[in-house]
Amino acid sequence: MNKALRNPLIYILFVLPAFILFLAFFIYPIYTAIDNSFTSWNGISKDVKYIGFDNYATAMSDVAFWKSVKNNVYFILFSCLVQVPLIVIFSLLIANVKRLKGLYKTAVFAPSIMSTAVIGILWGFIYNPDFGLMNQLLGLFGVEPIYWLSDKNWAMLSILITNAWQWTGFYIVMVLAAIISIPKELDEAAAIDGATGWQRAMKITLPLVMPIISVVIMLSIAGAMKAADIILVMTKGGPAGSTDVMATYMIRYAITSFKHGFGNSIAVLIFVFTMIITALYQVLIARRNERIEY
Amino acid sequence: MKKKGLALLMSLLFVSSALLSACGGKGAEKPSGGTGGAAGNEPFEITIRHTQVGESKKFRLALLNDVVSKTEAAVPGLKIKLDAVDSEVNRKEKLRGEMAAGKPPEVFDVFGSPDAGVYAKEGLMLDLTPILDELGIKDKFTTLDPFTHDGKIYGLPIGGSIEGIFYNKEYFEQKGLSVPKSLAELEQIAEAIKADGKIPFAQSSKDAWIPLMTTNNLWSYYAGPEVTYGFKTGETKWTDPKVVEGVKKHQEWVEKGYFKKGELGFEYADMRNQILSGEAIMMMDGSWANSVFRDPEQAGDMVGKIGYFNLPPVNAGDPVVVMQDANNGYGFSAEVANDPRKLQAVKEFIKNMWTDEMQLRGLKEDGVLPAMKMDLETMNSTSDDPLMQDIFKGVSEIGKSFPAFDALVQADVNTALSMGIQQVIGGELDAQKMLENVQAAQEAANATEE
Repeated sequence: MNKALRNPLIYILFVLPAFILFLAFFIYPIYTAIDNSFTSWNGISKDVKYIGFDNYATAMSDVAFWKSVKNNVYFILFSCLVQVPLIVIFSLLIANVKRLKGLYKTAVFAPSIMSTAVIGILWGFIYNPDFGLMNQLLGLFGVEPIYWLSDKNWAMLSILITNAWQWTGFYIVMVLAAIISIPKELDEAAAIDGATGWQRAMKITLPLVMPIISVVIMLSIAGAMKAADIILVMTKGGPAGSTDVMATYMIRYAITSFKHGFGNSIAVLIFVFTMIITALYQVLIARRNERIEY
Repeated sequence: MKKKGLALLMSLLFVSSALLSACGGKGAEKPSGGTGGAAGNEPFEITIRHTQVGESKKFRLALLNDVVSKTEAAVPGLKIKLDAVDSEVNRKEKLRGEMAAGKPPEVFDVFGSPDAGVYAKEGLMLDLTPILDELGIKDKFTTLDPFTHDGKIYGLPIGGSIEGIFYNKEYFEQKGLSVPKSLAELEQIAEAIKADGKIPFAQSSKDAWIPLMTTNNLWSYYAGPEVTYGFKTGETKWTDPKVVEGVKKHQEWVEKGYFKKGELGFEYADMRNQILSGEAIMMMDGSWANSVFRDPEQAGDMVGKIGYFNLPPVNAGDPVVVMQDANNGYGFSAEVANDPRKLQAVKEFIKNMWTDEMQLRGLKEDGVLPAMKMDLETMNSTSDDPLMQDIFKGVSEIGKSFPAFDALVQADVNTALSMGIQQVIGGELDAQKMLENVQAAQEAANATEE
């Protein structure tokens, strides 16, 4: 068989089925999205008119679009600056507990196996201005009821908290797996040398799990750029578009209005922005953390 | 060498079969039964895409099944396949995909505006005008506006609705309040309710179409219902002072605290709950909401305690102007015209579905107002439920009706208006500025169409 694989023709034939699938389900859709983005296609008509960069110009000059981009940036910043530190802290805590580790792992992982629709409804109750848990708790400290999902000043934060709650557990389990795979000797040696728990966490564990944290950040960025479901369930982009991200902007301003050409241009912009951000992250930050040597 | 040859052959077979299966499809369809009408009793099939899914639509499904049986019995060889799909999925995904591929089912659930207009423009929907003339039912509908494009009718509404105010009758009686005759009287009632610590109007504005029911009715009173027809043609403007006055009235109600604080975060069901819990006293909604207030499982002990009246005119005695619409119904594939037997089946389906009997069944079993013209007495005879009687009275009082604005303006304008009303409710914009934005969207949409 090895001999057969050395024949380039057979090699190509083996690769071809996967390549065809890749072409059909990845390259072709991207190509058609890019192609359609230069048209005023309504998603139905056979008559497709090319309009150059008009769709892109429309998006770029629309205040609502930039508002949605800004919300995507909030998603990324919240993920990287709030969610990731929490993930690391909880991972370190769970890795070091002596009892009921399994329970903690299961408990933090549970939200990530729930559907977004269920989570949206669940947190809708928590945020309810009349009887919601949040306002009940804040009420104990004399805080006036907050209209979490109705007030444009709070709605985005409410979604970010819910989204973080949904996915933090999933990433904790990833980081936890990396922590557990670190040879115990390293930690023990440091302990014998007199390092405190804090020092061992910061100087031994954290540097060794940086590649995984880097992956978590990458996944968070990608997740933040394509976020849509949680917003649709919780606020539908409202109030008055204040929680629209690029994907929900695309649905609101393009897809529901039979403007598929414009919708495709937004999809391409999401793709391009995601590529740029992830590439920048890779080049500027992630590459420095790639190698680990025990 | 043998092994190598076998591997090569196997790979070739796999790749070629994958390619062949990928290329298959076109030209592989079976010819549909009969082409010249001479096929006699040879079996043929048509598909009806409907959205009667779930417990709440069981009566409507039973009605459809009866029509299907009658149609099958009348057309030799006809087999009707029912394809049930959730309404939103059908509207936003499945039907659109099928339309894009040029292969919609023969009969399908469709919204008149803007959907049927877009599909009709592409020649994908059957022009029903000659069929309706032949069956003599063209003038029997309350309105066919949402399904009419360039003077041709492309679909038929399954039911109708009006928009008005549901109210807590028991509370009105206790407080000595009576049904208002003018907007000023309505505002007095709202003030009295507010002073009593209750919410005058239940309203959920997470979905903008809900508060827009109030806005649409108000600007239609102040500027006249005809004004909305002119936005698309440029004859009227959203910034016309009378339109602004109407929207300002809605803004004024928000500012006076006639709606519950935080309404922008409430779901549609929440406003019904506000009425049912007694927290709010009145609610602007479509007549379809009667099903909730008549159902003991949903309304509990509030069954029989909810009434209905039309939004009163600005001045007492002026004609009552009410949104009366029929935007959802059935459309038919243009392909049907190429097959006389399918065309016959479609005619038979229309003949059986749009009858007084079926419309009354819809009204009686489901509380859906008829899409076909019907006198008050006939309607009254279907239900002695007090709420339904109130709604029938509401229909009888209509001086002038108009279709919902979204049937008359482009989708982009609807989006701008939806955004705008939420901004007004949220206190971000005033009515004037909001309508300037809507007018800008209207002009852009009009320019695109030109």
